Amino acid sequence: MSLRAYVADLHVHTLLSPCGDLLMSPRNVVATAAEAGVDILAITDHNAGDNVAAAISAAVGYPLTVLPGMEVETREEVHILALFGKMRQFRQWEEVVRQHLSPLANDDDRFGIQAIVDADDNLVGVRRERLIAPLTASIEQVVVTVNRLGGMCVAAHVDKAQHSIIGQLGFVPPGLALAAVEVSRLNNPQTVKLPGTGGLPRITSSDAHYTDDLRWGSKTEFLLAGPTLAEIRQALAGENGRKILGYRLDHRVRGPAVSGGLLGGCLDGAG
Amino acid sequence: MTVGEVVKKLGLAVVAGQGGLDREATAGMAMDLLSNAMGQAIAGAVWVTQQVHQNIVAVASLEDLAAIVIAGGARPDPDTVQKADDEAIPLLTTPLSTFEVAGRLYQLGLRG
Repeated sequence: MSLRAYVADLHVHTLLSPCGDLLMSPRNVVATAAEAGVDILAITDHNAGDNVAAAISAAVGYPLTVLPGMEVETREEVHILALFGKMRQFRQWEEVVRQHLSPLANDDDRFGIQAIVDADDNLVGVRRERLIAPLTASIEQVVVTVNRLGGMCVAAHVDKAQHSIIGQLGFVPPGLALAAVEVSRLNNPQTVKLPGTGGLPRITSSDAHYTDDLRWGSKTEFLLAGPTLAEIRQALAGENGRKILGYRLDHRVRGPAVSGGLLGGCLDGAG
Repeated sequence: MTVGEVVKKLGLAVVAGQGGLDREATAGMAMDLLSNAMGQAIAGAVWVTQQVHQNIVAVASLEDLAAIVIAGGARPDPDTVQKADDEAIPLLTTPLSTFEVAGRLYQLGLRG
């Protein structure tokens, strides 16, 4: 089996996410990611997965694979990327999340409309629940359940103060079965010091809420036999010759200030 | 003042860590970010928080805190209770808010 390099962006939002730009339709996200050289794209909206299927449909004809995912906010207000290889497993996870959603309603003026669209940018629905809020499930419950359903968990933007496992919990709790930690676009995963993350492998991704983030944002390069979650899992574990090859860092970080992230009343780093 | 006396004066429920009730409480602190708690910890402090995760016990043990008060009616995770018993760190709960608990601790003479 021949191995080759795959560029992965495993943390990308669509317009379903609070603070996701309206240009981030599944169709546009897929087209922009393909243009930016992304081979593997995970759609990870906040506590929801309604736009994943549209992104998978929109990717037909592109040399790009879409993985179902979600940026889950646990009861401890820690953001975890839940990544799946199969839609059937992801649907089961969505059901678990629905049972643990905040009872609050979204504030459309402040966080934007949480739009569900199809692969052709047609509006097909709106999520009314406040998706940018913690679930009632603990971080242990989330990680154990995602793993049991066949998915994989990555602690999101661990180098940030907000919503990171290190900020909220001080360190990765012993026994928590994470596959990796994600470093935000603000830091270089090869050099940034991350006390409390133990020996977990590091990835980096765009955490894109805007098309510019997607275009210029950080990405991880893997050596894989194919664009699947099972392959990425092996690369993170350093098994069978699969591995992390390197990182493509956000081009904007050392230049002008990173744009985006702020929209109306949106919180920066709502990521 | 011992942790046991604090428990009586504030009407707290002792959920775990009975073995530590004789410990002297010498200060107070109130925060929910554990990174913050580790950064500002005072040995011997009673720590008021809303966090219920097992890492609060690890932080309390690491920083030699006297007790943890989980405010606002929140309930600790089962792992947290177990660890607090193992480490003999009193795990105390109350329906009072963080603000209210901190104010009463201050009135008892504890300082940050």
